[in-house]
Amino acid sequence: MTSKRFWDWFIFPGGVWIALLFAVPLCLVLALSFGHVDDFGRGVYGFTLDNYKDVFDPTYVPVLLRSVGYALATVILCLLVGYPVAYFIARHGGRYRYALLAALVIPFFVNYLVRTYAWVALLSDQGLVNNLLVDLGLSQQPIQFINTPFAVIGGLVYGYIIFMILPLYGSIERMDPSVIEAGKDLYGSPFRTFLHVTLPATQAGILAGCVLVFLPAVGDFVSAQLLGGPDTYMVGNLIQDQFFAASNWPFGSALTVIMMLFLAVWMVFYLRRASRGEAEVL
Amino acid sequence: MAEEAIRIENVTKRFGDFTAVDDVDLSIAQGEFFSLLGPSGCGKTTTLRMLAGFEVPTAGRILLEGDPVEDVPPHQRNVNMVFQSYALFEHLDVQGNVAFGLKRKKVAKDEIVTRVAEALELVDLSSRAAARPNELSGGQRQRVALARALVNRPRVLLLDEPLGALDLKLRRQMQIELKAIQREVGITFVYVTHDQEEALSMSDRIAVMSDGRVAQCGPPEEIYEHPREEFVAGFIGVSNLLEGKVEPGGKVRIGDDCLPVPGLDGAGNGDTIQIAVRPEKVAVDEIGADAYAIEPDMFTVEGEIESKVYLGVGNQLTLKLGNGSRLVALEQATYRMRADEQWEVGQKVKVGWHPEHCMVLS
Repeated sequence: MTSKRFWDWFIFPGGVWIALLFAVPLCLVLALSFGHVDDFGRGVYGFTLDNYKDVFDPTYVPVLLRSVGYALATVILCLLVGYPVAYFIARHGGRYRYALLAALVIPFFVNYLVRTYAWVALLSDQGLVNNLLVDLGLSQQPIQFINTPFAVIGGLVYGYIIFMILPLYGSIERMDPSVIEAGKDLYGSPFRTFLHVTLPATQAGILAGCVLVFLPAVGDFVSAQLLGGPDTYMVGNLIQDQFFAASNWPFGSALTVIMMLFLAVWMVFYLRRASRGEAEVL
Repeated sequence: MAEEAIRIENVTKRFGDFTAVDDVDLSIAQGEFFSLLGPSGCGKTTTLRMLAGFEVPTAGRILLEGDPVEDVPPHQRNVNMVFQSYALFEHLDVQGNVAFGLKRKKVAKDEIVTRVAEALELVDLSSRAAARPNELSGGQRQRVALARALVNRPRVLLLDEPLGALDLKLRRQMQIELKAIQREVGITFVYVTHDQEEALSMSDRIAVMSDGRVAQCGPPEEIYEHPREEFVAGFIGVSNLLEGKVEPGGKVRIGDDCLPVPGLDGAGNGDTIQIAVRPEKVAVDEIGADAYAIEPDMFTVEGEIESKVYLGVGNQLTLKLGNGSRLVALEQATYRMRADEQWEVGQKVKVGWHPEHCMVLS
């Protein structure tokens, strides 16, 4: 039994690490969200709910709603693009399955910021796409891609689609192919079989993918910062600005706490669904 | 013969270079319990999948009640399948699973309710109608799969090793139940199995398949008693294979012994042929003692007991004959199983069988 005790000690390095570098800063953020800014622009601890009132100020509510809207649009697009890709690789990839998956994952080894810059290079007024369009005579003027919601959502989709594809792939691959055949055998046309058999059988993967894309997308600031403009300002940008530009740490903290609570609701919803069904918890 | 439910005409199926089904010809009658029997890779499942519509034949025709169906997709064929893995819809309860086909066929709601109830009654699962598949035992899942197919009243029911995942006892019980259900509903069953006992006990007719072709097709008794080739004799039950030369007068010489064999019409004198004898048809007696198991009209040779395995229902003896060939005899406990009268290894014995129990293989 001593050996079991002995192995239990190994929880300490990781436990201390998480306590010091995760739990403590989180508590500081929580504490600071009730504080205020002194005359020199420094955050001071205290107790006021002003920061939370500010979060729901009419100035900022559109930013919150926009973030949620963009994230939902991202989830839907990721699902629409990701499902066929995951389905194809899982069911028809054959021996190229892992090569295809690797091809999808490898770009994600590159930093998200750098990848998003690549989209700037492609989509800016003087970018590759516009030059090509003008040179081919398909467009008289460069088309404005950057600074539009489409560019921001596109950046989010590109940034997070892998988190949709991987769980989808997992659930499609694990599905018994004869279940699809059973659907067809029981008079389901290919479309009806997909709707009534394949889709419900892979709902665990769909749910996991949607949550995994939604969570980072709603708090993202990189895509909006690089590909967007003032009209596509997201809550992630707002928080970042409180900490780095506006120097209003208490307000930034309050925004962070509200975001985390909002996301926690989703997370709880997901975990409950996942534990009831046999969803994969990634 | 009753009306024809299925006709398979010169059907061949190739996957790349591999020929899974090779020029198969079969005719299955209405209401028949027909088994496709063979080892894995023999083409039996591919044949079944072509009947279901999951595979399209490379060549040949498939007629369902006279209509060619090779190009009809599965969801438009009036056949249903019971899958080896059952392939139940885990997101639906038992009723939902059973109602699936009727809903896709847009059957009226109240009729669906009645028919689902009937089907669950038939497979004795009415009490589990609201259960989820993952709450059911293997046998119950199997019944759901059966009800889900039968509720559609298909012209033909296809079963792909439906009992393969069950343990032996449940398997035996389900064999009896399946056969009873088939009699009750009167639907043509096409049953794929690699289990010879299952095929023998349930089928009206069996097609034994090997390497993509039908080796022999006929009623169980015929397949068992008159196998036409070594593969069938070996696959269905255990057989003793003996090689010999044909001699005049309908005899075959094996070593020093010359034994009478019926059904040698096709073979010419001097030809080398194979004959088979079932172990349970070989009788063994002590030398010098009164005949106990061997009957007067049996052909007899001498041999020696090489090994003995006690099986409970009898003894399995491996015998070495004078000419060096080996023979397995299954001695029933009804003949000679007194505790004080055990066979000993190395003992010399008299071995005999009725000439008509010799099977000539091509």
